[in-house]
Amino acid sequence: MVKEIERAGLPVVHVCTIVPISLTVGANRIIPAVAIPHPLGDPSKTAEEEKQIRRRLVERSLKALQTEITDQTVFND
Amino acid sequence: MPISLKGGKERTMKLELHRVKISKLAWGDATSAKDGVLTVNKEELLSVLAGDERLTKVDVDFAQPGESVRILPVKDVVEPRFKLEGAGGVFPGMLSDVETVGEGKTLVLSGAAVVTTGKIVRFQEGIIDMSGPGAEYTPYSATCNVVVILENAKGIDKHEYETACRMAGLKAAAYLAEKCAGAKVDAVETYESLSLKDMPAPPTLPKVAYLYMLQSQGLLHDTYLYGVDVKKILPTYLNPTEVMDGAIVSGNCVSACDKNNTYVHQNNPVIANMFKRHGVDFNFIGCIVTNENVTLLDKRRSSSYAVKLARTLGVDGLLISEEGFGNPDADLIMNCWKAERAGIKTTLLTDEYAGQDGASQSLADSCVEGDACVTAGNANEVIVLPPMDKVIGEPEEANVIAGGWQGSLAADGTITVELQAILGSTSELGYTKLGAYTI
Repeated sequence: MVKEIERAGLPVVHVCTIVPISLTVGANRIIPAVAIPHPLGDPSKTAEEEKQIRRRLVERSLKALQTEITDQTVFND
Repeated sequence: MPISLKGGKERTMKLELHRVKISKLAWGDATSAKDGVLTVNKEELLSVLAGDERLTKVDVDFAQPGESVRILPVKDVVEPRFKLEGAGGVFPGMLSDVETVGEGKTLVLSGAAVVTTGKIVRFQEGIIDMSGPGAEYTPYSATCNVVVILENAKGIDKHEYETACRMAGLKAAAYLAEKCAGAKVDAVETYESLSLKDMPAPPTLPKVAYLYMLQSQGLLHDTYLYGVDVKKILPTYLNPTEVMDGAIVSGNCVSACDKNNTYVHQNNPVIANMFKRHGVDFNFIGCIVTNENVTLLDKRRSSSYAVKLARTLGVDGLLISEEGFGNPDADLIMNCWKAERAGIKTTLLTDEYAGQDGASQSLADSCVEGDACVTAGNANEVIVLPPMDKVIGEPEEANVIAGGWQGSLAADGTITVELQAILGSTSELGYTKLGAYTI
């Protein structure tokens, strides 16, 4: 899906847990997520902490979307 | 126990498997084995399984090779074994104490199996056909199956139900074998694991270890080592004979085709064959068990740690088996390239999800170092299973099982599914009836 949307001309950020798979399938902008069963949250944290996790992921993703890249890039911070 | 400084036998772990061959099941007054027949006292077996408040109904039935019988949804399969001599008991940390196993004498009811069935995660249980085309794809069509049917108490969590089913399977298997302790033994197999110091195999042969990947993703995708939830371990060394006494127990509710049932762990063909070739083609150094966890950090940590153990053991080659598919492919690939880059040759055992037409990418991940790979087949291949005279369990589960879809079950009982739905059909330990050789 990531590749097809990009083929149509829209840049995509792939938020995913297992970064090597994302690299193998050819995503260009990759944001590492939390864990496979809960990519955007962490049940061991409080609701407020989880909200912060989600906010950080979204803000990092938006920044990645606006970043010019020349190769597959993993945005770690 | 004192540590011998002299070397030799004190350090050897020797296990004898005393095989009592079973080719038929019968109900009777006393649970026993004689002349290939396993007689089961149904009431006594049910009394062994009684008393678990998590279960409202427990029943037992038989399914024997060649019968027009279908079992679904199957959770686990366990081989009846009982420790005749030696430390500990079967399924340590689970059913027995945590004492180290893998030495002494273990009774095996070869040809018999305990099959547990219940609707736990529903889409992640499997199908066993005892005859017809589906029987070719599951090794459990060739075993005489004591089927334990387990219904959960209302309101209990799925993980409690899974635990209850897992324990019932282990209890039934241990009970059946224990009752046959005096039976005439048909064959004795001896496995001897020597310490690295005492290994007599020619030093010119390469040293090869087995990297044994275990499903550990949580949410009922779990495996236990001496009762320890494997997602919580760092990779560790395991003596191959320990596995034969049930040191590894499956708690898995994952796609049926490539989950390693407890039975497959007990009978791991990779281990048996590496023993056979020890001292001939290579020196079998033993097993490194590792997990398949759900965070990238865990995957990176475990693969690095497993490869470090392999380097410390001084191995030249690693045989790596995967369990499951999808994100565990990333663990498999990380284990592969980290070992290869450390100068250790690897061979990978896996299966494929290449789509019903076989045209899609087979694994979710890949690396250039992975140039020796053995596949157990394409789990997406579609098969038509004709109706059976008798179904043990719930036939309509075919519509929700992984590999099935709404409409998989036809009105006449025919089931059309991917091989994914058949228990053990693409076993990544190679415990299958079908195979192919390159000529």
